[in-house]
Amino acid sequence: MKKSLLASAAILLASTMAHAADPIPVGHIADLTGATGSVGKPYAQGIADAMKYINSKGGVGGRTLAFETTDYAYEVPRAMAHYKKLLDQKVVAIQGWGTGDTEALVSFVAKDTIPYFSASYSGHLTDPQGKTSAKASPYNFFYGPSYSDGCRALVEWAADDWKKKGGTAKAKFVHMGDNHPYPNAPKDACGAYAKEKGLEILNPIQYSLKPGDFKAQCLSLKESGANYAYLANTSGSTIALLKSCETVGAKPQYMGNVWGMDEASLKAAGEAANGMVWVVGAATWADNNAGMNLVREISKMSDPSGTEPRPGHYIRAVCSAFYMKEAMDAASAMPGGVTGPNIKKAMYTKKDWVPAGLDGVCLPSTWKEDDHRGTTSVMVYQASVKGTDIGMKKIFTANIPRRTEWLGW
Amino acid sequence: MISTSLIPCGQYKTSYAKDTTLFDTPVTRAFCVVGVLVLLTLPQLGISNYHLTLLIQIGYLSIAALGLNILVGSTGQISLGHAGFFGFGAFASAWLHNKFGIPVLLAMPLAAVMTTLLGLLFGIPAGRLKGLYLAIATFASQFILEDFFARADWFSGGSAGAMAGTASLFGFDLTGDRSYFYLVLFWLVTMVLLASNLLRSRDGRAFVAVRDHYLSAEVMGINLTKYRILSFGISSFYAGLGGALYGHYLGFVSAEGFTILLSIQFLGMIIIGGMGSVMGTLMGTAFMVLLPEVLEIGFGALRGIAGDVAWVTSGLAYAKQASIGLAIILFLIFEPDGLVHRWKLIKSYWKLYPFSY
Repeated sequence: MKKSLLASAAILLASTMAHAADPIPVGHIADLTGATGSVGKPYAQGIADAMKYINSKGGVGGRTLAFETTDYAYEVPRAMAHYKKLLDQKVVAIQGWGTGDTEALVSFVAKDTIPYFSASYSGHLTDPQGKTSAKASPYNFFYGPSYSDGCRALVEWAADDWKKKGGTAKAKFVHMGDNHPYPNAPKDACGAYAKEKGLEILNPIQYSLKPGDFKAQCLSLKESGANYAYLANTSGSTIALLKSCETVGAKPQYMGNVWGMDEASLKAAGEAANGMVWVVGAATWADNNAGMNLVREISKMSDPSGTEPRPGHYIRAVCSAFYMKEAMDAASAMPGGVTGPNIKKAMYTKKDWVPAGLDGVCLPSTWKEDDHRGTTSVMVYQASVKGTDIGMKKIFTANIPRRTEWLGW
Repeated sequence: MISTSLIPCGQYKTSYAKDTTLFDTPVTRAFCVVGVLVLLTLPQLGISNYHLTLLIQIGYLSIAALGLNILVGSTGQISLGHAGFFGFGAFASAWLHNKFGIPVLLAMPLAAVMTTLLGLLFGIPAGRLKGLYLAIATFASQFILEDFFARADWFSGGSAGAMAGTASLFGFDLTGDRSYFYLVLFWLVTMVLLASNLLRSRDGRAFVAVRDHYLSAEVMGINLTKYRILSFGISSFYAGLGGALYGHYLGFVSAEGFTILLSIQFLGMIIIGGMGSVMGTLMGTAFMVLLPEVLEIGFGALRGIAGDVAWVTSGLAYAKQASIGLAIILFLIFEPDGLVHRWKLIKSYWKLYPFSY
């Protein structure tokens, strides 16, 4: 009896040891070639580099992260099909991408208890218990202010700006974007807040996520007499829009979503982007602090020379991967180890959380069991472009109130 | 014994029934039955989920492609809007289930019926248009439907898409791929039998007559408009059913899945498989589904050798799409009658071996 107990104990020990060395399967769904590829590529690189860096430093409790970057070309059905593959691989967490696919997967990841760290910051994903929205999203996490909060910050800035400029009548605000889950996500929430702030809401103008000739849209923009235009698409089509509108002579104040502008796009858009303001969700490549030094180290995973400048999307990706990593660290100490439910639990353990070594890079974030708005602090940057002289500087920081009725909106 | 298992060399058929028989010999019938039985046991034999997914994909795409083959291959009409009907079936089934609480298993054929009505409507121009003009008319229906999906919030959930519930039978959820496989297989076998029988019926012969020479068909008393529109209706039924199976399989239906590209892919399936052939449709669909996967395995091996090189990774996506186009071109040049013709050649080669003439 004693012998067999001992033997079984030995087997148990051996199996847990083998278990400890097993890699942790993680999913990574990215858009490299689809409509949002222009920002999807650097973001995917950021996730991949961060996970490789984590692996090179010993992974999570001695276990490496096993992942394969999969391009789904921004097509929801392909992401859904790939999700089934990931289920087979028994992934414990997924680093995902777009709003359409993330929102489509909400109930699936909840059922399969897989934390889903999306690059979609749709406000619909912030209500884990379904308190004030139709659909609960208990297993969805993202790093950064939600699209709705980002747009609300821009509205606050616009209201101030309008006052400063001495505008007498109501400022006119217009939402521009594709008829697609991502640009649509903040539309109603932001419009309601703009109304609250005393802005007049014009009919939204639709322009495709795929870059094209948008002169027709620019003409309607010009005709509408809008003062503030919120651009909800990603940078590729934003550049095309700014260029088209420059030709047509439409000159409202452009305000971009977090994916709507970045350093490289400023260069591409040229003077058409002069004066544009947009949301930035983390430190920028030009910043110098200890945290950014770590990001530069991580960047060397795919760019050993360290010369390639990375856009803000890359840096937010690093933050997303590191929040996941630290949650896994905490989960590995829990009974049951690194599992989906444990990672979810671990996400709630810290307050004003910044991953170790990334101070000054990621905004301090707090996730709660009933509130998945990690941060509601929004940085607004403004571009100054003159010839080849390109600058961007922080002009405004908003702290959007955490209203309960805004959960999941 | 020999006379029952081999096809005699020459024409010895003495009745129409013999001429239109589905299985030339008892052996071919046994082959089909055994094939279905093997498929039935596959999930029990521990086939991997990945392979099961591919089989399911071949299943629902085959059903839709079969419909297109009846329209294009047998009736000689052209449609560039098949993906629109495929999508309509998916949305309709999800809508029937979500809105009226109709069980999924019932919602699927009902959605197919709804798609049929839509197909009859969009088929009306076919009564007047031929060839390229009809192609453009169906092209328009594709765009109308695509835009409808993106805007009709009440029906499709708009750009956000619609959830498609899981099918359940006697209280058991058919959630896993394994149980869903049986559902798809059931419908595939049913629809294949229906299509094969349709083509040897009076209406089926009318379709072929319309295709081969519409003027002669009309002279023989075939109502061209009726049969052309009927063909659209039947093809839409197949598309709708395939779409419904697809929607409930993924669990989510999104407007962007049903683009013109999918319509072209359906055409590719029947061209590669063999126009007007039921068997060819299955082969063509299997080919179209498996080709990108085989390429991915090939590129995966290449990546293993070359290391994680960026151009290999990005090249993969490109080569996958390009290879499908290349395959269609090569088939048009070397095998205009499709895979099914090649299969017949192989069969006759071995039948006459070693004395082929």
